[in-house]
Amino acid sequence: MAVVKGSDAGRAAVRATPSSSGTREGVEGRPDIPDVTVQSKADNYSFHCETGSNLLFAGLREGVPLPYECATGTCGTCKARVLEGDVDRGWPDAPGRAYLKAERGEILMCQARAHSPCTLRVPARLSAIPYPRVPDFFEARVCAAHPLASDVMSFVLELEHPLRFEAGQFVVLEFPDIAGGRAYSMVNYAPVTTRLEFVVKRKPGGELSNRLFTDPIEGRTVRVFGPLGKAVFRPQEDKNLLCIGGGSGIAALMSILSRAVGEGYFGAHAADVFFGVRGARDVFYLDRLSAVAAANADAVRVTVALSDEDVPSALAKRYPQLRFASGFVHAVAAQRMAGRFENLVAYLGGPPPMVDGALRMLILEARLPANCIRYDKFS
Amino acid sequence: MSWVRVCAADEVSKDTLKVFKVNGVEILVANLGDEHRAYPPVCPHMEEPLEESGMCAGGILTCSKHLWQWDMRSGELVHAAEADEENERLLLMYDLKREGNELLVRLDHELEYDYGEDEDE
Repeated sequence: MAVVKGSDAGRAAVRATPSSSGTREGVEGRPDIPDVTVQSKADNYSFHCETGSNLLFAGLREGVPLPYECATGTCGTCKARVLEGDVDRGWPDAPGRAYLKAERGEILMCQARAHSPCTLRVPARLSAIPYPRVPDFFEARVCAAHPLASDVMSFVLELEHPLRFEAGQFVVLEFPDIAGGRAYSMVNYAPVTTRLEFVVKRKPGGELSNRLFTDPIEGRTVRVFGPLGKAVFRPQEDKNLLCIGGGSGIAALMSILSRAVGEGYFGAHAADVFFGVRGARDVFYLDRLSAVAAANADAVRVTVALSDEDVPSALAKRYPQLRFASGFVHAVAAQRMAGRFENLVAYLGGPPPMVDGALRMLILEARLPANCIRYDKFS
Repeated sequence: MSWVRVCAADEVSKDTLKVFKVNGVEILVANLGDEHRAYPPVCPHMEEPLEESGMCAGGILTCSKHLWQWDMRSGELVHAAEADEENERLLLMYDLKREGNELLVRLDHELEYDYGEDEDE
């Protein structure tokens, strides 16, 4: 019997299935940690789902290659169907629910929680190829926070235990008094570290981002799940880098640049970095980008694109190591990269319209092969 | 078998995709430059509406959701994210013919993808 709870439970089918759940108790002596079985087109997997963990995170932390992209209820990639068991669907307004057929008992694994042993089916062939790193939960504390621009904030977390991640990855942060998780890409890079740096843009109506801008957050505790994401830097690919970032989407690209610089990658490779913001008052990280460009003058070119205004001469004068342009960042990149799209990997980060614009440019104009484009879709 | 009119050929410009409703069935028409082709309106991978997410260039269809790509003439998968490389989902196609400026498809039944949801039934 599949019981699917949640706001639209009335429309969810309650299906009778051959049940074996009566004989399973999950972890021995711990009925609060139910067993979850996932059927896929290829192999089947089982894992334990601890109280408080959603089904996606519970599986990923045991190394199960469940499909996901945003891990925060938006993209729909982690959809699954409940074949049996008692599952709470979670966030009723998750945008990713648009991808579900509720009458078929479909759920978003990143939002749903198991209240009994359960069996799920994912409409995908789970790969035997592991994700870059097996993620887990970490307790953390905000150890620093400061504004970077009018509506952009930097904050740093100190983790209780070190995290190993790849440049370009993200984590999901859960604050104790704010419902749901938020995905943030790491700005810094170290192969293994307890210090994670993030950048957040204030969003109109965004509960967490507004709180970050109005309340002092130093010292607050945060639960971290990660690392997540497949859009990682792989130095062994031996290719030049094209980084196109908009606003706080520059975060993952900063991490990739940081690793590349740290490992001397620009001795033999080049990078073109395009950073888009609306206007001169929205820029940040220009000192860091200047330093990277100055230290790798023959290899790294950084262009800052202002979408809403002409480039003030004072800004261009202040950062002689950087190039500036007026226009949408993907259009500026298309123009300045014309004829130079060979032998590179493109990394994208930013708001969905910017990422879509950059994708269309790279596929339709630059004819870049899809396996040379990396981004994690958050919409 | 029945051939039904979908649209005029010049309603779909080169390297674009457009959905038309024919006898209650949504059909995605693509202009590959030298010919038109007709497909179901959703991505074979995760049902994304291709009129919005699809990109058409050089005879290759790319869905912007996860960057899966298909050869628009053979229907074969050209690229899938590495985690799904064993997946062999084909792009389904309706037979299409052109008469003057009119495009017609053979619509015996609606083509639909198997998203692997029904194997337990």
